[in-house]
Amino acid sequence: MNDPHNVIGKVSRSLGRSAPPATVPDPPALQEPLIRLVLSDIGLPALFEKRAKENKIGVTPLRVESLHEELIGYLKARRVKSIALPNSKFLNRLEIPRVLREAGFIVSIWDQMTLDQLYDVDASVTDVWRVVAETGSLVLRASPEHGRALSLVPQIHVAIVEPKNCVGDLIDLFELTTREGSSSATVIISGPSKTADIEMNLVTGVHGPGVVQVFLLK
Amino acid sequence: MLQQLVQSTIDRKVAEFHAHELPKFNFDKVSVDSSRNERLKRAIDNAVVRNDKGRQLKMLELPDSDRIRTLAGDIKQHTLDYLDYYLIQFTANVEKRGGQVHFASDGEHAKQIILDIVSSASVKRIIKSKSMVSEEIELAHVMEAAGLDVVETDLGEFIVQIDHDKPSHIVTPIIHKDKESIAKLFSEYFGTPYNDDPEALTAQARVYLRDKFRKADLGMTGGNFLVAETGDVVTVENEGNARQSMTTPRVLISLVGIEKLVPRMLDLSVMLKLLARSATGQTMTIYSSVFGGTRSAGETDGPEAAHVVLIDNGRTEILASEEYRETLRCIRCGACLNACPIYRKIGGHSYGSVYPGPIGALITPLMQGLEQYKDLPNASSLCGACYEACPVKINIPKHLINLRRDVVKREINHPVERLIYRAYAWAMGRPWRYRLASWGQKTTLRLIGHKGFVRRLPFPGGGWTQVRDMPEPAKKTFRQLWQNKK
Ligand code: SF4
Repeated sequence: MNDPHNVIGKVSRSLGRSAPPATVPDPPALQEPLIRLVLSDIGLPALFEKRAKENKIGVTPLRVESLHEELIGYLKARRVKSIALPNSKFLNRLEIPRVLREAGFIVSIWDQMTLDQLYDVDASVTDVWRVVAETGSLVLRASPEHGRALSLVPQIHVAIVEPKNCVGDLIDLFELTTREGSSSATVIISGPSKTADIEMNLVTGVHGPGVVQVFLLK
Repeated sequence: MLQQLVQSTIDRKVAEFHAHELPKFNFDKVSVDSSRNERLKRAIDNAVVRNDKGRQLKMLELPDSDRIRTLAGDIKQHTLDYLDYYLIQFTANVEKRGGQVHFASDGEHAKQIILDIVSSASVKRIIKSKSMVSEEIELAHVMEAAGLDVVETDLGEFIVQIDHDKPSHIVTPIIHKDKESIAKLFSEYFGTPYNDDPEALTAQARVYLRDKFRKADLGMTGGNFLVAETGDVVTVENEGNARQSMTTPRVLISLVGIEKLVPRMLDLSVMLKLLARSATGQTMTIYSSVFGGTRSAGETDGPEAAHVVLIDNGRTEILASEEYRETLRCIRCGACLNACPIYRKIGGHSYGSVYPGPIGALITPLMQGLEQYKDLPNASSLCGACYEACPVKINIPKHLINLRRDVVKREINHPVERLIYRAYAWAMGRPWRYRLASWGQKTTLRLIGHKGFVRRLPFPGGGWTQVRDMPEPAKKTFRQLWQNKK
């Protein structure tokens, strides 16, 4: 037990006991009124839109009928040639892969490509797991159909969001995560990648996408 | 044999590196040097004053920022009080998810564990994202010395690495550098024409590092938080390089201090609301990543092997002291640095320690020994701005005073200082001694003074007049004036 490398043993001794306790008191209660910033479930998509724009995420609210046209227009305007997509039921139902292919883009689907190939792709179009209205953030989870790299490696990330994806507060997000269990990786994205390291000059698009765009369905 | 040879080269290179180490904090030298460096002061002010203002504004968004800081402090304190329990819980959960937890008692041990993982996984190319713990144990240098291709991928840390410099702030590592010097560095390093546009410089680093990401087989991260109930590591960053570390390479090592635990996933809602606001005046940092274990079945990115190295390196010493235990609550937001009038004047390098600023002046002596860093607790005006700023309410000024007390108690302060205090105590003991002392002081100073000012005090007061003149004392002492009045 006095093995110098036994760190847990050392921790116990530092805390004045010979072994770790079998149970501990509950951690401090979270006192929701103190930490909750979004109090109501009404108008979450509008709040998300406002906060996401403050984060320099582009947000275009639209009806599903105009999605195809707007999406293609957006990607063409940014001279995108190649696009990567997750293998997503939601995107497939919206016929995004077919429509993008027909519009002349080179489309690859995550579970039929390699990570290395993704480095040469111009843009990704993804769904989201949730968005958080409080912070204007997109939340994405890793799965076999939806790799971690999709929202990271291409320089343009486009996300298609439904109103039902919105949660109000970070508390709601982490309650949900606690209930559903962790995925291997969850990332909360609150804007385009940026740095202010050089004399506090803000530069966007460092190692992650320099452009993040949301199409918010009504 | 080869192993020995490699080891001895590592030892030599590390020794060489240490030879160029920053000098230990020295009050006289620091105050003189920094008072002469206007440019440095301006650069620091530009960054930290802005972040400090941003923090103050952003905290106003919280319904009761004072009580939420108390809550955050309580959560961290609870975790520290039961740290052994939570470490066991965390370890079990990481293992359930296919990861491995290693405990390292100190820097040497951690390096050994990491080099072992590197060699048994036959790793060649390493990408490393920013982490203060790895600065603490100088991991990048050790890896470089071991002949590994290791690159710091946070822009600021990358610049520090290729310039063989040291970070001067725990959140914004290169605030001591201006864009001209970075441009010069890049033009030499990459062999390209000089261009000091920050966008161009960033773009140049991006292209270079993107290729490193693509080919890396090992990623290293730190961790801002560890969630005991799930075994997740949480990193918080603006650039996306920590995400790269946990996405592309097949092996992942997260090197984290044992004090970074929180019990519940839900605790993150408190911590994340405070961290970015306190650090840079943002609502949220751009990327908050929550990841645990290896990639799941069927996934084609993320690590196949995931290691969490939990390091003690002096932390259990602090834990053992009920008085100082709360200093381990620190979430490394840097708010106390930004708020500190001393940090703003002298900059991070002057502290001569990995952790600068108020929290550095506190934990460096606690983790590495008060003897070596006995001057550091004096690097504070005790104004309390750090305590006001701290999101987990560490009472930094109180602890700094206590450390000064420890220095005196252990009699490790300068002998001359002790002598002066003894003389002072003697003089204050009887009225006649006091009269004698003040007469002596007045007479001497008026003797060496010239035109109303003393330009150079004799030993041991020399430091005082090195950067300023001292007015001559008045002809009559206060007591004499008082006597005459009567
Ligand atoms: S001591 Fe408090 S203010 Fe300073 S870095 Fe740590 S958490 Fe932030």
